[in-house]
Amino acid sequence: MWGRTLQFLPNSKDREGLLPWVIGVMLFLCALSVASAVAIGTGVERWSRDLASNVTVQVIVADADERSRQTDAALTLLRATPGVEHATLLASADVMALVSPWLGDMPIDAGLPLPNLIDVALDGSTQINMQALDERLKATAPAARLDDHQAWLAQILELATVLQLVLTAVVAMVILSTVAIVIFGCRAGLATHAEPIAIMHLMGAEDSVICRAFDLRYLAHGIKGGIFGIGFAVITLWTVSSMASDLGEGLVSSLAPESSVSLWLLSLPLFAAILTMSTARLTVRSALRDMM
Amino acid sequence: MITFENVGMRYGMGTEILQDVSFSLEKGSFHFLTGPSGAGKTTLLKLLYLAHRPSRGLVNFFGKDLATLHRSELPRMRRRIGVVFQDFRLFDHLTAFENVALPLRIKGAKKIQVADHVEELLSWVGLEDRMHAKPATLSGGEKQRVAIARAVINKPDLLVADEPTGNVDPEMSRRLMHLFVELNKIGTTTVVATHDAELVNAINAPVLSLDKGKLSLTRAPDHSDEGQ
Ligand SMILES: Nc1ncnc2c1ncn2[C@@H]1O[C@H](COP(=O)(O)OP(=O)(O)OP(=O)(O)O)[C@@H](O)[C@H]1O
Ligand SMILES: [Mg+2]
Repeated sequence: MWGRTLQFLPNSKDREGLLPWVIGVMLFLCALSVASAVAIGTGVERWSRDLASNVTVQVIVADADERSRQTDAALTLLRATPGVEHATLLASADVMALVSPWLGDMPIDAGLPLPNLIDVALDGSTQINMQALDERLKATAPAARLDDHQAWLAQILELATVLQLVLTAVVAMVILSTVAIVIFGCRAGLATHAEPIAIMHLMGAEDSVICRAFDLRYLAHGIKGGIFGIGFAVITLWTVSSMASDLGEGLVSSLAPESSVSLWLLSLPLFAAILTMSTARLTVRSALRDMM
Repeated sequence: MITFENVGMRYGMGTEILQDVSFSLEKGSFHFLTGPSGAGKTTLLKLLYLAHRPSRGLVNFFGKDLATLHRSELPRMRRRIGVVFQDFRLFDHLTAFENVALPLRIKGAKKIQVADHVEELLSWVGLEDRMHAKPATLSGGEKQRVAIARAVINKPDLLVADEPTGNVDPEMSRRLMHLFVELNKIGTTTVVATHDAELVNAINAPVLSLDKGKLSLTRAPDHSDEGQ
């Protein structure tokens, strides 16, 4: 791959020493953005899968007798509908538990008219026309309201898409700034090493030999920065995800990338190294072409 | 082998340092180049070792017109030219040995292949004990000898030396000139720029003189004794 290498450049740790750190920071940001985008994707998918297998019917009517009559009618209809695995009326204690965050713990006999909630589990394989079901429900139980969470889910999906676009833009900008920084660094390096380059040229060295010396150096910078950046990213992701899972699932689906994504993340240093090296190579080549 | 015709040279937008310079170097010839400081000797040599293109005029190297020569053909041509720079231009982070080995390494030789050859030449210029020293720890004369060794290690077709004996004692100076003459005998075309009148008088060779950018032949080639 390299052909002949002749490292004629002096070591200048002091001048280019910052480059691996900058590359590391850039890679860290990249890795976090990618991991967040992936986590949002899997989270939304898991969520919508849960929600799709499950609809809720509320029966909202103040009069208790009328409420239980309509609830029974709705339950009968739902249980007869193909594709419905089971339909259960939530006990009023469960409903209380659901609303307690908003109302506080009140005794149930406070006379508050709570709606009846029917949890409907779908078998997931039979396609159900939600609109037709809603109309049939309305016919038997006018106070019944079918909620298949679609409106809410659509909003969540939209938000997730926007977030993922933003994160993609962040990754693109980080990559572009990395390229810009490498180009600046490389130009500075060319200026610093102008004399050795000139002597190598005068002794008959081809551009490729000179380029390779820079390639190797920037490849090393890229690998160093890549390992440093990905190391910090993995530690951060691991910490965040273990803190999130301590809080319980559902909050953050999990920032800890799945194994396929981990492999992807681990390939990022390689990507950083190749990006750094190719940028350096193009910069050096075009600069050399301007010399005699 | 090398011809200059009405060559003019200026740096950037400055005045012409060289004006209408015409001469030719036959294969195996030996020339001195003299002239007062600032006359343009180094500038002329830069054109000879392909560090610059002339501002005007025709330059022909080894049968090829420089104006139409592609960049990619320059390295091969430069490898046929050995240069002793006035300010040595050694690599400070490389040892004397590594500096001298570099032209061979550029040509593609492996490190071990060049060792004997490099050591032999460094011994010849009296640096067998300083082979692994870096230029910073060498005296001016020692650096100069490293620079000369680097220029001749390849047995170049053309040797261009800019004040190659400026920093050494008369004894070493004679020794180095002897090296140039020996190389010249085996076919290396040689141009030596110098202020040293004694040196010029010691060797019977044509002298090119530069004054205020004009070149003239002040001592014609002498065909009577040696075969150039
Ligand atoms: N890179 C450069 N840019 C602009 N002017 C230059 C450059 N190099 C040399 N000159 C000018 O060109 C003129 C000739 O310089 P040059 O180095 O060729 O002289 P020289 O004959 O080698 O002198 P010396 O004997 O002192 O080495 C000088 O006036 C010098 O100032
Ligand atoms: Mg000079």
